[in-house]
Amino acid sequence: MSSDPIKHSLATQNLTKAFGGVRAVDNATVSFHEGKINALIGPNGSGKTTFFNCVTGMIRPDSGTVTYQGRDVTGHAPHRIARAGLGRSFQLCRIFPRMTVLDNVLAGVRSTGLVHRLRGAHNPDDIARARELLARVGIEHLERSEARDISYGQQKLLELAGVLMAEPDTIMLDEPAGGVNPALIGRIATLVRELNAEGRTFVIVEHNMELVMSLSDHVVVFDRGRPIASGAPADVQNDPRVLEAYLGV
Amino acid sequence: MLSASRHKTATHQEGRTSSGRSVLVAKLVAAAVALGLVLAFPALAPDPFILSVGVVIASYAALAVAWNFVGGMTGYISLGHAAYSGLGGYGTALLVTEAGVNPWVSMIVAAVLVGVAAVPIGIASLRVRGASFVIVSIALVLILLLVAQSWSDVTGGSNGLRVPRPFGTDVLRPEQHERFFYLFVALTLVALVLWWVIDRSRLGTGLKAIREDEDKAQALGVPTFAYKLVVFVVSAFMTAMAGGMYALWFGSLDPIFQFSILTGSYLVLMSLLGGVRSLLGPVVGAVIVGYAVEFFKTQYGDTQLHLVALGLLLALVVLFMPDGVIPWVTAQFDRFRPGDTSIREVDAAQLAEERKALEEAKS
Amino acid sequence: MSGPLLLQSLILGLLLGGLYALLAAGLTLYFGVMRVVMIAHSAFLILAAYLAWFFTAQTGLDPLLSLVITVPLFFAAGYGMQRALLSRLRPATLTMMSVLLTFAIALIIEGGLGYLFSGTQRRIQLGYSSASLELWGARIAVVKLVAFGLAAVSLLALYLLLKKTRFGQALRATIQHREAAQLLGIDTDRIAGFGFGLGLATAAVGGTALALDATIYPSLHWHWIGPLMAIIVIGGLGSIPGAAIAAILLGVTQSLLQIPMGTTWAQTVFYLALFATLMFRPQGFFGGRLAQRF
Repeated sequence: MSSDPIKHSLATQNLTKAFGGVRAVDNATVSFHEGKINALIGPNGSGKTTFFNCVTGMIRPDSGTVTYQGRDVTGHAPHRIARAGLGRSFQLCRIFPRMTVLDNVLAGVRSTGLVHRLRGAHNPDDIARARELLARVGIEHLERSEARDISYGQQKLLELAGVLMAEPDTIMLDEPAGGVNPALIGRIATLVRELNAEGRTFVIVEHNMELVMSLSDHVVVFDRGRPIASGAPADVQNDPRVLEAYLGV
Repeated sequence: MLSASRHKTATHQEGRTSSGRSVLVAKLVAAAVALGLVLAFPALAPDPFILSVGVVIASYAALAVAWNFVGGMTGYISLGHAAYSGLGGYGTALLVTEAGVNPWVSMIVAAVLVGVAAVPIGIASLRVRGASFVIVSIALVLILLLVAQSWSDVTGGSNGLRVPRPFGTDVLRPEQHERFFYLFVALTLVALVLWWVIDRSRLGTGLKAIREDEDKAQALGVPTFAYKLVVFVVSAFMTAMAGGMYALWFGSLDPIFQFSILTGSYLVLMSLLGGVRSLLGPVVGAVIVGYAVEFFKTQYGDTQLHLVALGLLLALVVLFMPDGVIPWVTAQFDRFRPGDTSIREVDAAQLAEERKALEEAKS
Repeated sequence: MSGPLLLQSLILGLLLGGLYALLAAGLTLYFGVMRVVMIAHSAFLILAAYLAWFFTAQTGLDPLLSLVITVPLFFAAGYGMQRALLSRLRPATLTMMSVLLTFAIALIIEGGLGYLFSGTQRRIQLGYSSASLELWGARIAVVKLVAFGLAAVSLLALYLLLKKTRFGQALRATIQHREAAQLLGIDTDRIAGFGFGLGLATAAVGGTALALDATIYPSLHWHWIGPLMAIIVIGGLGSIPGAAIAAILLGVTQSLLQIPMGTTWAQTVFYLALFATLMFRPQGFFGGRLAQRF
């Protein structure tokens, strides 16, 4: 499947996860292109979010492996996977509702050792970085607000800023355009492109096909818990198996 | 009134820093006055009985702050903190009576031992989410009560243990109370400083993130289990210190009271009432609940109605003021101050509207 | 240790395990439908026992007849409690706040019982109270058999209800995956209320069974809630069969350990097993998906 110059920093091998009798992820072998914007698409209930959760350690898969940057990270705790450089957002956006916007971002600070962790959270270094990220996503004016009081779109941007604070190499976004207005979708797309240009790999689950086709370099199509097609956006778009999965013909 | 408050909103932006400073000064003054009053209490107390009530309340304050390391920072509610205070008490008593160790050294050694014992307990109960933690916390008190009552060779069984007084017999009762009052206040202050240090640190931010959304915190790289374990052990240690100090003050230990779910639930109520998110919330809660408990005891004696009252109070707080009474009251005040709601953004339309309102007010 | 004594302990353990199983099933139901650890379960158990005792003391009729009143009453109370109280709590803090709320209810029940009936120990005297059966030298009190029978029949009824009826299907779907159940058109809020009602009905049955052969007093519920909570964790939170198996196993173990260790120490087996389970297999032994996260 891989052609030589393409590197795969994140890949799964025969990943399987069943809930009761339903195999949400079924023997999925997928690899994502390093340094690119990868999209993961598929009809509702095709197991994309479960796949995300297995990869990021939120759910322990029943079988199969997840490798990240050459290391087997299957079944590792989510925080270890995060610290290895794999950041993620959540479907429907999850922020810390009763913390300020600034503290939300500060929660992503990477720290090691007890002394380091007992340092004040509001130290100038961390705050400067957090503000920089808030400015980058365009919500620096809200830093003192409680996160539950800002708009949904702003919360999405805040979530992204928090993920960036943890300095990930690869960012997995679960429906970044879900439930936000067109203007904001454009802003998020621009941010993703910029961040990708700086060398970050993206894996994006998204239903907005227009966005997927314009943004991504590589598309993986999921149906019933496993990949049924992958390739450049244009190729995938014309793949009969994809049409079948979406339209159920 | 309305336009005045709007005016306040308009000047809110530039006024923030200076008002922030004056708020800080006001807080410091209030804290100094409160501390002064607390320290003057033994001199003001009319009789030794009131003084002893003060000691009980001070011990509750230390316990509630210790409880709040876990409860406030992680949101994990322990109903069984009496286990750690009881162990601290029994440990201190046994070290003094059986091993002849100096009472203060005993207190600290016992608390360290409880802290060590808290590690496996924490491992068992904190790896998974809240439900198991609660179950273990209650189970621990029940099992310790069983053990304390049955293992009479060591624990004295249902008769409990007597603890010799750390100050000589020449120190009279009121003097004892006074000294222990200051000791408990000092212990509470130590706990408060520790809580404050953790709360404002990166560790504290991680813990608050756990309280808000544990999955999300983990996905951001917060080692949630390790963080929870750290504050859990700190909490157990501080609770045991307070328990040991109580044993030295009170002089005798009765397993029914040492390992009591009720004591644990007082701590929960105190912290919830005062507000678990704030530094001083548990202290305020301890004063209110501690006083109420002692008042109830002296007025109505040993009636079952105090259980009903405690239950009703707890239910009311949980249902209507889960963030605490003080935060609830503050929130009610804030309702009338639109400028201080937590949206700190003032957009152009809002500004225009405010300007219009100002002009209307002038004309 | 003699053979008959061993046999007697084994049988008594099984009989006790049956009661544990019924009550643990109730506790599991609450947890399943709402992720709630219902501390007041055993307080309701004692309340039902008191009602049975009071019923018999006032009317002179058999305490089993009190079930006609207590079961519907408790079902309604459970439904009401879920709909009026627990569903008001914020989802984000539901697990913790529900513990406190149900704990508060337990205190109110305990205090209320103590106030109304005083702390005096109570016991029902029946014509068959002292009757017993002999089986290869083991003596088994008839009331214990009746209590077990009651528990077993109720557990069977609960099982059939869950497996064979549409309501049961909806309830199981709600337990498994609430959102998915909603998508299937199930009114999960109502179902959760009914789940609570059923759970509390197990406490009504259990309480009557308990009243048959035990001395009751208001604070007795603390002796029950610990073992019951241990059982549902060991069985795997949310799994009714798991809870039932753990209940029988632990009931028998406790009963057998009573011979060499005495009643008090034997009770610690629940807590030791709880601790060991959480240490080495936190999801419990028969648990499903739910157990891994709570």
